[in-house]
Amino acid sequence: MADLTPFTYRQGQSLLHIIDVRCKFFIICIVSMSMLSAHFFPCFLYFLILLFFFKKADFNIFATFKSIKYFMFLLVFVFIARALTEKGDIIFSFYGISVTKQGLSGGFLVSFKFFLVMVTGLLFSSTTKPSSVKSAVQWFLKPIPFVPEKRVAVMISLSLGFMPVILKQAGQISDAQKARCGDLEKNPVKKIIRLVLPLLKKTFLSADSLVLAMESRCYSDDRTDSEFTPSGKEIYFLAAGFIISLTLVCL
Amino acid sequence: MPEKIIDINSIRHIFSDGYIGIKDISLSIHKGEFIILAGKNGSGKSTLLRHLNGLLLPDSGTILVNGHDVSKHLVQTRKTIGMVFQDADTQIVGDTVFDEVAFGLENLKIKRDKINEKVTQVLEDLNLSHLRQRNPSTLSGGEKRKLAIAGILVMDPQVIAFDEPFSNLDYPGTLQVLSTIIDLNQSGHTIIIATHDVEPIICEATRIIIMENGQIKKDGTPDTLIMHLESFGVREPCSSKFGLGLVPWPT
Repeated sequence: MADLTPFTYRQGQSLLHIIDVRCKFFIICIVSMSMLSAHFFPCFLYFLILLFFFKKADFNIFATFKSIKYFMFLLVFVFIARALTEKGDIIFSFYGISVTKQGLSGGFLVSFKFFLVMVTGLLFSSTTKPSSVKSAVQWFLKPIPFVPEKRVAVMISLSLGFMPVILKQAGQISDAQKARCGDLEKNPVKKIIRLVLPLLKKTFLSADSLVLAMESRCYSDDRTDSEFTPSGKEIYFLAAGFIISLTLVCL
Repeated sequence: MPEKIIDINSIRHIFSDGYIGIKDISLSIHKGEFIILAGKNGSGKSTLLRHLNGLLLPDSGTILVNGHDVSKHLVQTRKTIGMVFQDADTQIVGDTVFDEVAFGLENLKIKRDKINEKVTQVLEDLNLSHLRQRNPSTLSGGEKRKLAIAGILVMDPQVIAFDEPFSNLDYPGTLQVLSTIIDLNQSGHTIIIATHDVEPIICEATRIIIMENGQIKKDGTPDTLIMHLESFGVREPCSSKFGLGLVPWPT
């Protein structure tokens, strides 16, 4: 059995699971854009809302955050970079590099916003089937001329669906190398090359097999469209989405 | 004699690197037959199977399915001959068991109501109903293989071709798949299994075709060919080696 990543869809009957995917997509877009100019307090309020949905969806908050720990390193890096580069009231300096009050607060806010976007995406992908994402992408792209919406949508859905398989293969390659003392290699570039080359090869072979399997089941762009199943609560979600966006922008 | 369903006339396939995959194969397959395509790795079994489904087309010769040339009636051929691949992981497209089974019917542009009805029926027939909302990547090996079979079965094929159906399966998984295959044959489907391990299915087979170097070397009933298997790199079943003849596996 493959391990589920935090981004893998998990079945459930929570509010986020039953809401129409187009509505979720739209709310994510407006909330993410509103967050660009938001201050710390409204962001914190939004974080509390996300925690509420985590609880409602019955996800283990600590296990989920633990599984995205590598992303946290990126946030720490963003924080440090911002703290060291922004001009303002100097708190202390060493070797000509100054850490400023504005840098620290700005770095924290930017990292926090990245974190919120990440958690929003995580909640979205773990409560939305990739096939629904595909349908929504297709629906949003349909009015745009010269865009092959069905093909784009299938590519997105396959990429999402194939993530667990690719991660499983990466794990197998890594284990096979560890079994031959591959972890003694300290050069990170060599380590990455050793992992990436066989992984790419495996991924392309898997993609080949997938193409054959799809072809053998008569795949074509012209297929039965997926159906949307609105729960009737979308209007409340949209209203809540607008209120959250306004709060983020105005507060 | 039952009605002829597949008629292969002197086909030859040469890969782009010049390797001859199959040479001058002629073969007829009748409705309801249970055929084992046996041979060691590289003998041309999978290449021949892929020709039956139109995934590969012969460089010379013809393949007729129900009297129609495969190269001119690809969709019809793929509806008639379903194919279950060796690696179930890489052929799964849907993000739930239900969606995976529905994939083939969506490709055929069947109406949504009909799709829901047929998928529900097939899941019930294969005892997969309780898994309908599960993510396929979380299923066991045997369940994944049964899911792959369900994805084919829903398209109402007359012939089901399996490429190494028991590879990477534990004993319970093998029995699960074996029992499903036997049921399919008893319900009137023609079964073709390409394998180098004939032990689980040899008792059920009505015919064995032994391949080597892209050619058919022997074609006959299991009891007449069982002693010839090892000379073509295929292990003779234990029961036969111990003088017990052909003993069926428990299903």
